[in-house]
Amino acid sequence: MKMINCRENFKNTKRLVVKVGTSSLSYTNGRLNFSRIEKLAYVLSAIRKRGIQVTLVSSGAIGVGAGRLGMLEKPVGLAQKQALAAVGQAELIKIYQKFFDDYNQVVAQVLLTKDVVTLPSRHFNAKSTLERLLSMEIIPIINENDTISTYEIEFGDNDTLSAIVAKLIDADLLVMLSDIDGLYSADPRIESGATIIPTVTKITPEVEKLANGAGTVFSTGGMKTKLAAAKICGEANIDMVITNGSMPETIFDILKGKEIGTHFVPGKVKITNNN
Amino acid sequence: MNNKQPRIVVRIEIATLSNRDGKLNRRKMDRLAMILSNLRNSGKHILVVTSGAIALGTEKMKLNQQPKSLIEMQTVAAIGQADLIRLYQKCFDEYNQIVAQVLLTSDIMDNESRMESARNTFNTLLDMNIIPIINENDPVSTTDIELEDNYQLALKVAKIARAHAILIKMDANGKFLLVLKDTEEAILAKDEYKLFEIFDKVFETSVDISSQANGFPASIEAIKY
Repeated sequence: MKMINCRENFKNTKRLVVKVGTSSLSYTNGRLNFSRIEKLAYVLSAIRKRGIQVTLVSSGAIGVGAGRLGMLEKPVGLAQKQALAAVGQAELIKIYQKFFDDYNQVVAQVLLTKDVVTLPSRHFNAKSTLERLLSMEIIPIINENDTISTYEIEFGDNDTLSAIVAKLIDADLLVMLSDIDGLYSADPRIESGATIIPTVTKITPEVEKLANGAGTVFSTGGMKTKLAAAKICGEANIDMVITNGSMPETIFDILKGKEIGTHFVPGKVKITNNN
Repeated sequence: MNNKQPRIVVRIEIATLSNRDGKLNRRKMDRLAMILSNLRNSGKHILVVTSGAIALGTEKMKLNQQPKSLIEMQTVAAIGQADLIRLYQKCFDEYNQIVAQVLLTSDIMDNESRMESARNTFNTLLDMNIIPIINENDPVSTTDIELEDNYQLALKVAKIARAHAILIKMDANGKFLLVLKDTEEAILAKDEYKLFEIFDKVFETSVDISSQANGFPASIEAIKY
């Protein structure tokens, strides 16, 4: 079978969604990793200045809230998580604003609830607002509106939210920055010979099986929720790449089509003409 | 127990904190943070309902005037809300007071479980001595985008949080206008000292948190002066 380099298309990305998880924004003790956030702000601002429309989906509000209040233990119970999210989101957006300001990049805060998917009028409004922000060269920073969400986490997690956002604005590519390098052929913590699978064209039961064991204690989703996101993207014909978030600069290389992380090829494979 | 402390919804129109040219007056803002932090220190729970996201977004984007269309307003609000909360954070930090951001959609009252969720968040925040800074979640709102009169949002918050009073106005001269639960007549406080005096007198006895807060005038026009 002839392999098509599906990543060739990444060079033509017009609309990019980047999802960053708590594990990529903070140290394992829960405290924020400022230089990581600074690097991320630099990379995304630079990409935006090349004319690519960038949207950031960021987790981390609860962790930041806990840090702000000097809480050492993980919050328990929905009400406490929501309260911490309300404190932390304010703090988080301030920090993002500060770093993006350094690169002269305007950002905006958009908090979404599940009804952005289920309620047509809200869907339309959120889409219009995001479209407008993007056209004004602003980077929207999106999170779930935790404080009024009615379930534990309405979207399940921000992996799913990022895929929903990518679909909402009809993005070309979703890059998920995570604490793992990609989808492994086996659990790398157990098998030393485990390698990253560079391309997944179909989410088969075998792929699902690989995803089940993975993930770390720090990321809420693990690989399973990333596969769920890949399915949403796949159906919406959006490319998705999972990669390690420890070096945000890798997004530059991903946009060059370099083989980094795991690429989930959407349902209808886009083939570029060599013109 | 904090639950015994009275709850006051403070309605802030950012315009009243601005100069004639529409730019925000940081000194007035700082003064406000001081008074509210002090109210909190005196044993009252504070919930701030604020407008200003569109005004700050307009300022940031250097637009000559505030946008008129819904979509433009939503866009500018998404930019400005980030600045607005940052501003509150900065001012309250000076008084060692932690704040939190809560954005409500206009249909919050139609959805029982969302309302309950918001109530739980408020209760937890207040228990943790945090002041929630509340605004409408404009970027996804379908109607009611940051109306000039945010009394309606204050009313919703008062109902959700079961508040005992709404501070409806603070004017440039440092006068306050407040309305107590189950009354229709506004009370004028000439200055902040008078305001503290009134609150202390009214809330002399401990208050019942479980009481429903339905008893506020339905609109700003319905308040008697």
